[in-house]
Amino acid sequence: MAPDVAIASLTARRTVRSAAVWGYAFAAYVASSAYAFATTYKTPGARAKLAEQFGSNAGLNAVVGQAHGIDTVGGFTAWRSLGVLSVVGAVWALLTGTRLLRGEEDSGRWELLLAGRTTRVRATALAVGGLAAGLVPLFVLPAVATYAVGLRGDVAFSAGSSAYLALALVCGAAMFLAIGALAAQLAATRRQASMIAAAVLGGAFLLRMVADSGAGLDALRWASPLGWVEELRPMSGSPRPWALAPVALLAFSCAVLAVQIAGRRDVGTGLLPDRTHARPHLALLRDPLTFAVRLGRSTTLGWLLAIGIGALSIGAVAKTAGEAIADSSTYADLLENLGARGVGARAYLGIAFLIVATLVAMLAAAFVGAARAEEGEGRLDNLLVRPYPRWAWLLGRVGVAVVAVLVAGLLAGVASWAGAASQDSGIGFTTSLEAGVNVVPPALVVLGAGVLAFGIAPRLVPFITYGLVAWSFLVLIVGGFVDLGPWLLDTSLFHHMASAPAVDPRWGTNLVLLALASALVAAGDFAFTRRDLVAD
Amino acid sequence: MTVALRTVGLGKRFGDVDALRDLDLEVAPGEVLGYLGPNGAGKTTTIRLVLGTLRPTAGRAEVFGLDAQRQTVAAHRRLAFVPGEANLWPSLTGLETLHLLGRMHGNVDTAYRDELIDRFDFDPSKKVRAYSKGNRQKVVLIAALMTHADLLVLDEPTSGLDPLMEREFRGVVGEAKARGQAVLLSSHILSEVEALCDRVAILRAGRLVESGTLHELRHLSALTVEATFDGTVPDISAVPGVSAVEVDGANLHCQVTGPIEPLLAALAGTGVRSFLSREPSLEELFLAQYGS
Repeated sequence: MAPDVAIASLTARRTVRSAAVWGYAFAAYVASSAYAFATTYKTPGARAKLAEQFGSNAGLNAVVGQAHGIDTVGGFTAWRSLGVLSVVGAVWALLTGTRLLRGEEDSGRWELLLAGRTTRVRATALAVGGLAAGLVPLFVLPAVATYAVGLRGDVAFSAGSSAYLALALVCGAAMFLAIGALAAQLAATRRQASMIAAAVLGGAFLLRMVADSGAGLDALRWASPLGWVEELRPMSGSPRPWALAPVALLAFSCAVLAVQIAGRRDVGTGLLPDRTHARPHLALLRDPLTFAVRLGRSTTLGWLLAIGIGALSIGAVAKTAGEAIADSSTYADLLENLGARGVGARAYLGIAFLIVATLVAMLAAAFVGAARAEEGEGRLDNLLVRPYPRWAWLLGRVGVAVVAVLVAGLLAGVASWAGAASQDSGIGFTTSLEAGVNVVPPALVVLGAGVLAFGIAPRLVPFITYGLVAWSFLVLIVGGFVDLGPWLLDTSLFHHMASAPAVDPRWGTNLVLLALASALVAAGDFAFTRRDLVAD
Repeated sequence: MTVALRTVGLGKRFGDVDALRDLDLEVAPGEVLGYLGPNGAGKTTTIRLVLGTLRPTAGRAEVFGLDAQRQTVAAHRRLAFVPGEANLWPSLTGLETLHLLGRMHGNVDTAYRDELIDRFDFDPSKKVRAYSKGNRQKVVLIAALMTHADLLVLDEPTSGLDPLMEREFRGVVGEAKARGQAVLLSSHILSEVEALCDRVAILRAGRLVESGTLHELRHLSALTVEATFDGTVPDISAVPGVSAVEVDGANLHCQVTGPIEPLLAALAGTGVRSFLSREPSLEELFLAQYGS
């Protein structure tokens, strides 16, 4: 075996690790969708009604894709999974592809590998092959979960259709791993590469959305990679496996092109011109506080965009979804368990805002993660060897994060209102705004927990913050179906958040959460002034 | 006059590892102290303790009488630091970085900054990620020197600089010394230390093993003797003070500690054609310390 095969296994190891996490998430999402549908809508009548309601909502079809045969367990599961998970998979893939190719080159590690017994073409081909290994867990885990839940009599999926659904789910990731690898050759920095790949994904999504908007532009679907995935129509009764051809062709040709370009360009450069010179912009370089704004602004804008679009979409589908769940006693129970009351759009939004709360909490986690990265990669030393107190630096970063989280909450409120108002859902502006503000306190507790971790065990920051968000989300979701008991439920941050707008926010509890967050920040900040700076 | 830098019984443990033990060090204003030692000896640990980015497990460090831990901000007003590895923000340009770091120090001689940019032949309009290692090093060098700080803490400051820039660096450090700035210079470039430093301190495995002026250190250590003979080389291994005897044909090479008289007496009448004795070079001095 040639020694440079190690490049493939190195890349594969790093890809598979993160792919496995998403594989489990995909598996849980698909299996729970099938289970929920089968146990909630038991009669053909209920299913037909649901299919009519969802199938005729143009807004919903535009966002998640056209519905095919959603009056069956399989059709509903595939429809609910494919549109959403393809985009999630594509985002994961483009970030991973650019990170493991361009990111490695940016850091100089790639050149170290290239100095070994390999060539640029071989090394790139091996790395792309390693990336492809990430598709294995992303395919296998959902396939197994789908087949397993399909063993239930009321679900009844065949092994073949389970595998075909899992294959369809992995197509988005496959194409965008290759697109990410190609973008990594075109751009001269990782950030630029990610932006190129993300722009392609955004374009593909928009094209598919227009095609699915019911405006008679169905042919446009074939112009979008995400449209091809939709045309696979898994579990719809009329699958179209030939749509795999353009998927495979695109993934393969992007991968081949990436390898070709890698062989022709200089290491450390891209095909696109890189702006290495820039006019100085000094406005935000006054002190560490303004500098924190400058460092965080583009990432924050990305998050705000995602949160805004997400809130707008859930607002737009609130009316239809609310009508559908109004007829289901199981959903009523679920709502009850999750603390949402009432019927219709408000009840639906009460649950959907849990997703918004999760995203906003992840934004808070991202801020602490960025502060830790400043320290871990040694850049913070430049600031702290100068006459500026440590506590003030950290508090400045926290302040910027608090503002960003608050803006995200307000934006989510306004966007969900706008979406709901476009369908005459009858949700008041104040109600929506309050629901938006209501997601801020749990996010600030995540921020506080992150700051405490930063002060005591800085290397654990990502684990603690993202772990707390994931735990809080999972416990609440599982608790919606199964009785977990009060003690376990209490460990979920979101359990302490009222399911606004389904019910009114509990401002008293929110104040307690804010006090907790402040105490955590104060303790973490204090601990930070009394420890060594630690590099990664 | 207040001492610029003083460490008293300074020590740092990382878990079970004693990275630094019982260090007493002083640097006076207008003095350059060379700080030497093999990789991992604890030089950077010392510097990070002085900067307050690490907390000591024993003793303390003071900058102009200000405690590095409890009066960090006040201490940092008096010092400037150059790391051996410049970890900067890749998306900022050189000028933006200098502006930010200058704002943070608060006291910048912009005319001198521009002079330094000129002398180091540095293009500040490029983004940091486009700089070579040497150019990134220039950013942190200029950022520290442009403040005229009373104490310069330099941790392998010339890593990645070409010989021309290295010469320029020696020039600016010499000027800083003449202005009365104190300098702690940790370096592996012995010629740099020899040219710049008034005193040197040698660290090994976390402990100070030698400290003094170069003259004192040389005086304390062995003389190197090289001699060539017409006939056979006499056996001098029993002569008091003589060590490290090497014989190669008609050539003799040895070290002499203490008075050289006994060796001269032993060599009288043995057919010495040439005789050379010299103080050890700085390199020999340190290799002896590093090696043993």
